[in-house]
Amino acid sequence: MNSLYSFFIGVRWEDIVDILLNSYILFRLYILFRETNVLRVLMGVTFLWFFQRVAVYMGLIVTSWAIQGITAVAALIIIVVFSNEIRSVLQARSLKSILWGKHRQNVNTPVEIIVESAYEMAQRRIGALMVFPGKDDLRADIQNGIIWNGLVSKEMIMSIFWHDNPVHDGAMVIQGNQITDVSVILPLSQRKDLPSYYGTRHRAALGVAESSDALVIVISEERGNVSVAKGQNMTVVNRKERLFQILQEHAGIIEKRSPAIRKERMEMGIAAVMSFLIITGVWFSFTRGLDTLITLQAPIEYMNRKPDMEITETSAHNVVLQLSGSAMLVKAVRPEQVQVRLDMKDASIGSNMFHITENNITLPPGITLTRTTPQNIQVTLDVPVIKEIPVQADWTGKLDSNLILEKVKLSPSKLQVIGGSLIINDISTIYTEKINLYTLKKSGTLTLSPVFNPPSLRVAPGIRDTITAEITIRERPQNTK
Amino acid sequence: MRNIKRCGIILCCLLLYLSSHALAEEDDDMVQPEQTHKPTLEAAAICEDVKEHSPYNAAVVFSTSIGKVYCFSAFDAVPDKVYIYHNWYRADKLTTRKRLVLNPPHWSTYSTVQLREADKGPWRVEISDHEGKVLTVLRFSITD
Repeated sequence: MNSLYSFFIGVRWEDIVDILLNSYILFRLYILFRETNVLRVLMGVTFLWFFQRVAVYMGLIVTSWAIQGITAVAALIIIVVFSNEIRSVLQARSLKSILWGKHRQNVNTPVEIIVESAYEMAQRRIGALMVFPGKDDLRADIQNGIIWNGLVSKEMIMSIFWHDNPVHDGAMVIQGNQITDVSVILPLSQRKDLPSYYGTRHRAALGVAESSDALVIVISEERGNVSVAKGQNMTVVNRKERLFQILQEHAGIIEKRSPAIRKERMEMGIAAVMSFLIITGVWFSFTRGLDTLITLQAPIEYMNRKPDMEITETSAHNVVLQLSGSAMLVKAVRPEQVQVRLDMKDASIGSNMFHITENNITLPPGITLTRTTPQNIQVTLDVPVIKEIPVQADWTGKLDSNLILEKVKLSPSKLQVIGGSLIINDISTIYTEKINLYTLKKSGTLTLSPVFNPPSLRVAPGIRDTITAEITIRERPQNTK
Repeated sequence: MRNIKRCGIILCCLLLYLSSHALAEEDDDMVQPEQTHKPTLEAAAICEDVKEHSPYNAAVVFSTSIGKVYCFSAFDAVPDKVYIYHNWYRADKLTTRKRLVLNPPHWSTYSTVQLREADKGPWRVEISDHEGKVLTVLRFSITD
């Protein structure tokens, strides 16, 4: 029970947002692709991925490797094979319909007249193509139509599609209770899986149905039947009642409590719950999977230091962190995502001891801190001051035994040096760089640089940072030491 | 007879008092000389030797092979017996402190340091008076 409690206790509000957002994306993908073959293939890929996870969990190395490869290839195949379907879903529909689809509210379409006209034309073997736009703009898909703008009536419909009528070829567009366009040329479907008996009229009906949310009624001249194209599907409708219902649903005038609506709502509800459960499962498998440890070295950042203070010494520049989390999350950790920050707000001049806690460390989501080395950091703060310090030549090597280095005059003899007050108080001499005695044979002048120890010391601004040394060398008197 | 005894006791007491007083004065002279007047530093040098009250081969670089290095200081107008100090520093760390006496009217004195291999590096000697006031600083190096 305790382990179950600890399993859920680490869930943050960001994690809940993460799960809900991805659940909604999955749910919308289902809504958008539910009438296509893409969804079925996606389900197959999902099962493959699931089995691959199981194989990894069971330690089946070759199986997991093989399934992983197949899954990757399958994802590519989906994109290539179903490119038309994916394009028609993602491009043709508006952003609103992708994010939040809802039923239409157009109630003016004279459905009964259209149904009667359709079946009478079917009986008389009069071919017809009637387009009922949804919310999508069809202007990009339909071309060369003739503007009609006539009220819908059975006689009008039948006369337009009468064989000898000059505008009987092409489609009729019906919006509300008006025939807006006739003799319209529709884009043909590019699908390869359509039955061979589908002629141009059926392909045109599917073409506009695939690329938009329009509903298209097709009346076959050869077979005398009535078909309805919607989305990716083309269905033969033999009963007037069914066509009536389909048109009412499309026009949004169907009763709210009808079985079809209830069934659709049930399907949506199940899809939403399944999306949530799947994403929750995936999330937990990512974040609460097998615990893995990683050791990472992170630099320490010092924050909120008072402007007049300088850090003169620290006991450590880096902290070694031992992190744990699921293998997938731990593998994805990048060094720049891990930050160790010490707040110097309350630090004072001198030595300050900081204890590193979780509050000082920023980690990626899902990663927890196990151990910190070292746990305490000593930081010495100081106020920079300027001090005038004598300069001394620093000799090395061996002078020729016949010579005496009698005198050296340094210019300047004192340097103004800036550094932390605690350090600079203990400094009584600034030495020059090493001067090699082996090379000195006679008097002369050298230009030298000062050597600062500790390196935090520096020459005060505006002061020359080189030293001139005038050296006097003489011969050693005979018969002396 | 009794008077002779009394005189003898008194005489002994007087002698004891006088002798003890004289010893006390001598101790005071050794520990706390009169230091009301300050001597003047006339010359100072680091050198290889001191001969005839003068520095010999004064320099700023000395080889450890010479074995010993001298800090010579000469004072003029030494009004009273007084102490001075030679403070020897190697790389800014005090290694030895020599107390030297000056006697009126002129006095020169020196201190020495034996050189070892470990003594290589930059040195300085601070010559200070009995109050710690630095009179001069002499800088030199010990090398190979």
